[in-house]
Amino acid sequence: METAVQTLVDVVSVGGLYALTALGIGLIFGVMRLINFAHSQLIMAAGYAILLFFTQSAALAILAALVAAVLLALLTERAAFLPLRGADPATLLIASFAASFFIEKLMVMFVGSRPKGVDFLPFLAGQVEIAGVRLQLLQIVTIVVSLILLSATTSFLKTTRLGLEMRAAAENFRMAEVLGIRANRVIAAAFAISGVLAAAVACLFVAQTGLVQPRMGLQLVIIAFVGTVIGGLGSLPGAAFGGFLVGAATILLQALLPEELRVFREAFLFVAVAVVLLFRPQGLIPARGMKERI
Amino acid sequence: MTLQPSLTLRSPETAPLGQGYPLVAVRSLVIRYGSITALHGVDLEVNAGEAVAIVGPNGAGKTSLLSAIAGIVRPADGSIAIGGEPLAGIALPDVVRRGVALVPEGRNIFGSLTVLENLRLGATVRSDGAVGSDIEEVFASFPILGQRRNQPAGQLSGGEQQMLAIARAMLSRPRLLMLDEPSLGLAPAIVDRVYELLQSIRARGVAMLVVEQNAARAFALADRACVMSHGAFTLTGTPDEIARHERFDAAYFGVAMSAERSPT
Amino acid sequence: MAAIPSSTPVPEARPAARGWAGRLAPLVILVVVLLVLAGVAELAPTVVQRRLTQGLINLVAVVGLYIFVGNSGVLSFGNVAFMAIGAYVSALLTMPAAAKGVFLPDLPAFLGQAEWPATAGALAGGAAAALVGAVAGFPLMRLSGISASIATFAILVVAYVVLGNWTSMTGGQNSLMGLPIYVGLWTAAAWAIVAVVIAFLHQESRSGLLLRASREDEAAAAACGVHMVRHRLIAFIISAFISGISGVLLGHFLGTVRVETFYLDLTFLILAMLVIGGMRSLTGAVTGAIVITLLTELLRQAEVGVTVGTTKLAAPGGLGDAVLALLMLLIILFRPKGIAGGREIGWPSPRRPVSPQKLSPQTATRIEETQP
Repeated sequence: METAVQTLVDVVSVGGLYALTALGIGLIFGVMRLINFAHSQLIMAAGYAILLFFTQSAALAILAALVAAVLLALLTERAAFLPLRGADPATLLIASFAASFFIEKLMVMFVGSRPKGVDFLPFLAGQVEIAGVRLQLLQIVTIVVSLILLSATTSFLKTTRLGLEMRAAAENFRMAEVLGIRANRVIAAAFAISGVLAAAVACLFVAQTGLVQPRMGLQLVIIAFVGTVIGGLGSLPGAAFGGFLVGAATILLQALLPEELRVFREAFLFVAVAVVLLFRPQGLIPARGMKERI
Repeated sequence: MTLQPSLTLRSPETAPLGQGYPLVAVRSLVIRYGSITALHGVDLEVNAGEAVAIVGPNGAGKTSLLSAIAGIVRPADGSIAIGGEPLAGIALPDVVRRGVALVPEGRNIFGSLTVLENLRLGATVRSDGAVGSDIEEVFASFPILGQRRNQPAGQLSGGEQQMLAIARAMLSRPRLLMLDEPSLGLAPAIVDRVYELLQSIRARGVAMLVVEQNAARAFALADRACVMSHGAFTLTGTPDEIARHERFDAAYFGVAMSAERSPT
Repeated sequence: MAAIPSSTPVPEARPAARGWAGRLAPLVILVVVLLVLAGVAELAPTVVQRRLTQGLINLVAVVGLYIFVGNSGVLSFGNVAFMAIGAYVSALLTMPAAAKGVFLPDLPAFLGQAEWPATAGALAGGAAAALVGAVAGFPLMRLSGISASIATFAILVVAYVVLGNWTSMTGGQNSLMGLPIYVGLWTAAAWAIVAVVIAFLHQESRSGLLLRASREDEAAAAACGVHMVRHRLIAFIISAFISGISGVLLGHFLGTVRVETFYLDLTFLILAMLVIGGMRSLTGAVTGAIVITLLTELLRQAEVGVTVGTTKLAAPGGLGDAVLALLMLLIILFRPKGIAGGREIGWPSPRRPVSPQKLSPQTATRIEETQP
């Protein structure tokens, strides 16, 4: 019983982390059909901001992470994607791939590629006992933060004027512009939100691993990409759900696979994804309007 | 079944119209897609309060013309002015702020958003406090939209979606309403209702530019009509002149002439 | 307006009338360029010669990637996985049994004993990659363009995870050493020519032409009865084969295979070469590989540094990669069709027809699909 609950908490917390990552990616894709590889660098930038400030205070480090990720998100949007408005998704994909590598290599050039230890929020490593089950505090915090951010993003999209414009632009960008919605403002807002989500992921991730390095966000982002595809590219609930699913699946595989096969869990995961896509090429929660767009 | 068109004449959000200029002036407009030329030097004027119909076969370039005036397609050559001001430097989202609203072909309502959200987006360019009451007026005119205000617009029937698309465009309080094939894909009874609605909007002094393959419908609404074929106007005049012109059919399929010069 | 392509694809310029001599022009010119390049490299110092050999191996990989990406318009991030598969399969088949006994004691007997000739091993490596390409491509090619691109990432990750942990077959994270080193300048050049010929034959074939038609307009091509998925899959399999061969070459050039080699950095390098050269033509693929090889060599010199008087001036490590990434970004921003501009090279002609692209203004955005 206790292991089952612990596994469940494990599944939900890792799933939540991936859901946050996938949501940040899905938001940008929804609004401008861009798969943002550089999302991984947003997480990295937030990670290094934590490294700079964590010795002074945790709150300051979190604030710095937010500022760094949001600024970098807006900067990449300005420099790499603004000049490409109206370009096809493949061109945008290459641009984001190049931007992502450029930022990473620049970082390697200046700080080197070796990981640096960060003792961020050490108290989260402690255990708490809830209803007789011992759980790691960090996992509880991860679940709570994920829930808060997912619902905050949802209610932003549902209830605010900007959120409405963002959903309209996500469904039919050109028509939104015809109605007078200022695309650049909407896109910048989407990037800022993806920066916030990336910063949150970075804080949780750094607290968990205790390391920062130029490539720290990569694994998360690649798996989250696959999550957005399986959830249904262009659909925001699909992105969050798909992200949760792939994250949860990695933990379930870890728990259920026999010892000697555990190292192959990503392979199992991706093969399972391919099988799902064989039956549902549009993903589990297909986006409206994506079919005609191709 | 009327939209509250009193709103259309006081437009606090849109820039003042240049005096003495036509609402829209299109001069020698050329549109190209890659190596394909869709419009070869088209001239058109629409004055305040006037309704103009453009008819022609599929692929004649009608949609290109509307897209160019709406700022979606940039001209390869020629010019477009709205109220005397060139469109060239105006970003797409600002065109509607100049008082030009488009109901595109296929309606393009936001299917995943609710009816109410679609209408609120129509009023994007407005910041006055009357948006809410204008939307209530729409619901009063179209009870079916009111009943389904919180349902996804994608669940509406084709005719209801067309009404929603027109109402959405009207919420920007345009001086010129442009419609691309408003009767397309609708049953004749529904088309009657759509044109009744357009008639009532027109009666309140909103200028209109209607593109149709269904010439008879558009002619009944318009003050002036143009026949377009192969990217150029082949016949222009009053709907009556054109409909009775002996070479209307030929013009429709591509022989250039002008009804204004020919005796009727 | 539901189906707004955000930009209108401009059909590429194709001279209306060109005989077989004109048709073969890109092939002949590219082969001659490769031969000249190899001939010049022959005269260069050993170090430079080795770098150029590696450049030719990369060229094979770029051409392999081009066969799929250039013709289908779908990006692939998975081709480096095929390189890895080719390298490992060829290594297992050609390494001396004694070396395998040391590094891979748990190999099944038939593999442990196998000592195939080099070419047979290379072809087997390519075939294994093609087979994996066929199996993986079957579900993935059905996806729409952008989803398919992302899903090819899955191939890369799966190959990386499997090869990196299948210790009995690959040695896991450790390097596999003792591969016969038979790839020199001329072997690499020969395979580069083979790759260019295969890519050319494919793109001039019916399947290749239909695939390119579908690239210009997926919806229209599908409506015209092009079995897009099938032709995509064919291109993907050929692409996997050539990529597999390039992996084989790399393994037998270095003499070692390491799973880390075949991951994101190599993916980035190969993709950057293709993008910078121009991913819509074979000429672009070859140009990109050559230009970037030469440029990287210059930057490597800069990182090593030059001694001026008593001070040593050296660029910071990692500069080369950063410059390459920046270059790729600038190309996509300012010359999205790459150096080659989406065209194939042709015979020089005094009265070359002006391409329609030059006549047409900036590509307009369409409101509807079927507008004239």
